[in-house]
Amino acid sequence: MPARLEITLKPDLFDAEGAAVCKKANDYFGFGLESVRTVSILTIDIDLTEDQLEAIRTEIFTNPVTQISSYKPLAIDFDWILWVGYRPGVRDNPGSTAAEAAEDLLRIGLKPHEAIYTSKRYCLKGGNLSFEHADRIARELLANDIIQQWKVFSGEDWNQDTGVGIIIPKVRLDHKPIVTDIPVDSDKTLMHVSKERGLALNPNDIPTIRSYFLREDVLEQRRAFGLSTPTDVELEYISQARSDHCNHNTFKGLFYYRDLSTGETELVDNLFATCIEEPTIAIKKQKSWVISVLWDNAGVGRFNDDYYYVITGETHNSPSNMEAYGGAITGIVGVYRDPMGTGKGSRLIMGMYGYCVGPRDYHGELKPHLHPRRLLDGVIEGVRDGGNKSGIPTPYGQVLFHKGYLGKCLVFVTAVGLMPSQIKGAPAEEKATSPGDLIIMCGGRVGKDGIHGVTAASESFSVHTPAGHVQIGDPYTQKKMHDFLLEARDQGLIAFITDNGGGGLSSSIGESSQFSNGCVVELEKGPLKYEGLDQWEIWVSESQERMTVAVTPEHQERFMALSKKHAVESTVIGSYTDSGKLHITYDGRTCAYVDIDFLASHFPQWTFEAEWTPPEMRGLVEPELAAPDNAPGLLLDLLAGPNICSKEWIIRQYDHEVQGTSVIKPLVGKDRDVISDAVVIRPVLDSFQGLAAAQALLPTYSEIDTYHMVACAIDEAVRRVVAVGGDPDHIGGVDNFCWPNIQYDPDDNPDGKYKAAQLVRANRALRDICADYGIPLLSGKDSMYVDGYLKDGKGETHKVSALPTLQFSCTSVVSDITKCITMDCKFAGDLVYVLGETGNELGASEYYEHFGHVGLNVPELRPGSLMKLYQALSRAIQEELVASCHGIYRGGLGVHLALVAMGGGLGMEIDLSRVLTTGAEQDHVILYSETPGRFIVTIDPKNRSSFEELFDTLPHACIGKVSSKTELVINSLKEKPMIHVPISKLKAAWKRPFGELV
Amino acid sequence: MTQSDTHDKSVNVLVLTGYGLNCDLETAYAFELAGAVSTRVHINALISGEAVLKDYDILVFDGGFSWGDDHGAGVLEAVRLKSNINEAMYEFIGDGKLILGICNGFQALVNLGLLPGFDGDHKARNVALTFNDCGNFRDDWVSLLGNPDSSCVFTKGFTRTEFPIRHGEGKFYASPKVIERLIDNGQVVFRYAAPNGEPAHGEFPFNPNGSAHDIAGICDPTGRIFGLMPHPEAFNHWTNHPDWTRVKESVKRQDKSIDFELTDGIRLLKNGVDYIKAAF
Repeated sequence: MPARLEITLKPDLFDAEGAAVCKKANDYFGFGLESVRTVSILTIDIDLTEDQLEAIRTEIFTNPVTQISSYKPLAIDFDWILWVGYRPGVRDNPGSTAAEAAEDLLRIGLKPHEAIYTSKRYCLKGGNLSFEHADRIARELLANDIIQQWKVFSGEDWNQDTGVGIIIPKVRLDHKPIVTDIPVDSDKTLMHVSKERGLALNPNDIPTIRSYFLREDVLEQRRAFGLSTPTDVELEYISQARSDHCNHNTFKGLFYYRDLSTGETELVDNLFATCIEEPTIAIKKQKSWVISVLWDNAGVGRFNDDYYYVITGETHNSPSNMEAYGGAITGIVGVYRDPMGTGKGSRLIMGMYGYCVGPRDYHGELKPHLHPRRLLDGVIEGVRDGGNKSGIPTPYGQVLFHKGYLGKCLVFVTAVGLMPSQIKGAPAEEKATSPGDLIIMCGGRVGKDGIHGVTAASESFSVHTPAGHVQIGDPYTQKKMHDFLLEARDQGLIAFITDNGGGGLSSSIGESSQFSNGCVVELEKGPLKYEGLDQWEIWVSESQERMTVAVTPEHQERFMALSKKHAVESTVIGSYTDSGKLHITYDGRTCAYVDIDFLASHFPQWTFEAEWTPPEMRGLVEPELAAPDNAPGLLLDLLAGPNICSKEWIIRQYDHEVQGTSVIKPLVGKDRDVISDAVVIRPVLDSFQGLAAAQALLPTYSEIDTYHMVACAIDEAVRRVVAVGGDPDHIGGVDNFCWPNIQYDPDDNPDGKYKAAQLVRANRALRDICADYGIPLLSGKDSMYVDGYLKDGKGETHKVSALPTLQFSCTSVVSDITKCITMDCKFAGDLVYVLGETGNELGASEYYEHFGHVGLNVPELRPGSLMKLYQALSRAIQEELVASCHGIYRGGLGVHLALVAMGGGLGMEIDLSRVLTTGAEQDHVILYSETPGRFIVTIDPKNRSSFEELFDTLPHACIGKVSSKTELVINSLKEKPMIHVPISKLKAAWKRPFGELV
Repeated sequence: MTQSDTHDKSVNVLVLTGYGLNCDLETAYAFELAGAVSTRVHINALISGEAVLKDYDILVFDGGFSWGDDHGAGVLEAVRLKSNINEAMYEFIGDGKLILGICNGFQALVNLGLLPGFDGDHKARNVALTFNDCGNFRDDWVSLLGNPDSSCVFTKGFTRTEFPIRHGEGKFYASPKVIERLIDNGQVVFRYAAPNGEPAHGEFPFNPNGSAHDIAGICDPTGRIFGLMPHPEAFNHWTNHPDWTRVKESVKRQDKSIDFELTDGIRLLKNGVDYIKAAF
């Protein structure tokens, strides 16, 4: 008989969680709730005696100081009660740890069908709520129907004896696993099966696949193992390996590129090879610090002789868009497995985030699945729990609001790791599988999670079907595995390691057996979350927190003993061979037998038509804007813009100091509340070296030209790391593309050709700027279908495509962290310099956006001597001539002068007439133009000549000084004071939009 | 790192690892800077006998999210240790050795009942660390007032300092009677302070979590068991401090160079190490 334990805070204790729900319900929906109290529920589906139940209640689940609990429903005053629990098969992390603790205390072992499930009861008071109101709180604030179920009780519905009832969300499949043979008699048949089963095979690949399985020699080999036509396991394997996600078919595609203004056409063959691979290989030859790129789960750069750093970036857009918390936590925890699976494994040392969402206060006609405000809350919390509970600092991040992301949000997650350069005398970045090595799966168990991702979302639910296609990452299980694998690595027990992410075992084993040239997998050995999975489901399941490791047989015992010590499940599920075959069996019967080199055979290249319409032809013009009447008011308005203003509330939810490595924090300045250009950590605690990191994205520039969007984003990320003391000669890059679908379709995607041209131009900028700056692309990913279909109030569907977006991440090694600097001005009397020239480049700027314009003059990067400028600045910082340094980014000089002043808590007197310009001839253009390549620097006046000497012919100008009067004073070109605002007022405006959030 | 003076007894520090603890590396490193020999030991190694508590002088419950913080921060860590190595822990305490709990470790200590340890009772749970009043996890540096009357061996000479806090469940809570007793016994070691140097009196963000009496750390009556929410080990280098670039620039203008003495974080740990050196 299952038991239900209710636990709540003693009545006189403040219920912070309940208070937060109450505040959100009132703020978001305008309800007048008076209070919310929360009750935690454990539904214990374990055969226990009364005494045992009482023991776990008092010893584990009830804090005698703060809590009360009972196996009967607790009597708490309410007007409405909401109960929220998980659907079957959704990862219930606290449920698992509860079971673990019960086993520990009672010294029992749970039987396979036994478990503990957690859920919550909310007791709402006040507000004269109707059922609809209460249900709305459940639906739009507390639960997401994709992963959760809920009940609403009024006073009349509620029975104090039975409470919420006993709900056990257990998965029961009652299904006998079965392998299905797929007919391949014609292309049409196979295409039909592909659609029916959600295989997502590309029509162009189908003839290649068919001809392989119809080859006489193949048929004969297969017959020996009882196989004829391909099995579902085999086609799933091929489908996963050929997917755009795994194979980057779009980037490797053939583009027929046409410029509609000139009529010129050209053939662009393989963006990946020409814009990413070849330039990076060329730079690797020049820069010995580039250790390993383009093949592993993440890129590797040298930190010093003893250590390498490892970096990669991912996106987790679609899942986050459906279930923000689950998608985001799965994203961050998932990307952390990439460095863990790079080389022989690395320790995680830093995470970064980037969120692009619809306007937080959106109240338009369209109805996204989750309102941007709720979506952002969920994403923030998912990355918070994923990072904090992994013990990895999350010091850097960015948030961008734009209506284009209403259709699909973007969630960028970036992971940085550290590995010793040698492990037991062998290079740590190298790994291989060899015949005879055991295939070991470590970490979590296999369920129906993530299978066919989004296609599963449209399936209907029954009471016991697992809702596992949207997952909830489990940082606790992964942290245990992380610690275990590092210890195993250091003992030399790991020959090869990779993660199970997209494609699950199919990808990890498929790719790792390329090294040994074969494998035998016994699928029935894979530990399952519940019975009833088909063989193909075990093979492609994307259940999280799993790694695949190759271990030689002589190390098996030690590896398994370590695994046990760390309370991590590890299972031998097969071995690597040199048979040339991927061979999968289930209970001794072969269910897949495919040539390892089949995937290397010639699959047709994807092709795209790309048509570039230059901005003038699209009707974009430069608006004629008069100088603003109220210059100070305008500056305050810009500071309060959602994409400029303070987001301290997010930053402080992320542990940015764990590991004790923090050097330059995300928030800096006198009051420790202004956002730093970049962050620096000291990942090797007894070294004075540091790692600087920053990211940038400028998607609004895509409205004019994606070439400049990419160029400026790269430049911004570079300037950010240089501004804190990074070395411009050691900059590693990570490109993360998020693009709308570029395949032209007259009905569904009429501007597909234009979007394809935008992608070509973006890649060219990536190639050009990285070559000019000497940046190797250590890692990169692309997410190609950032479109959403939203209904409006009338039920009509609208397609919303995101702006083509590139997030660029930069890392740089700092040779001496004590030379690092922050962006806040430090002393009154210091001189204020602007490095670089300011052009008339307000196109797609924050300034134009504020007035509802796009414009034409998009900021353009003119690389030329910019690197020389950055090198000179770097020398000035190394010679300790600089008191503060801050790049000029979105919002332009005006906004960023204000930030430097706010950071220092000091005033500034600035003369615009002293700013070096090219074509910027009006005050507001100089103040708000977003020309790249510029910095604001303050220096001690006594350093003036040594500082200026370093810049010699490079563009630099002293434009004023820091003052003890805490006011920002800006004099116009006509040398009249045009802005004269106290710093406190600037900061108040900058903090106003989100200042109340904690 | 080795001992500065070979005549000294080596002070052995056991830093717990595993099950989601995550401050073990920097805590071990910080104790080495403080002159000890640190060993990171998995909780299960202590239970299996692979490591023996008796071989160590200082036991550190370091920070992290043990068991994901599910069912109350530090609760399940306490259950596991209580169920398995209770006797060894009491023996360790009886030998006059030191126990330090930082953040999640502090939460474990109060759930074990090792704190507050009134009348030598190291089982009773009299105080709790519960959800922050602000309703969220928070990372910030806080200003702390030391208690000169406390018997805590780690905080001798600490009047005012700053460390980072990073927690979602750091609100110190106990009945008024218990709080009074803690005050009377000198067991309140650190209190959150306002910028003016006075106690924060509950004001956010100076008191970041709503702790009763602004309590950030307490010790047992002997002063040998100490728990605190802030993280001294995260102030292991002068560049950890949020103001360091400003301080450096200011020092430079006075033609001085930066003081490379031990940070307050290391000083705190060193007090513990020195205590063991003197006592054993």
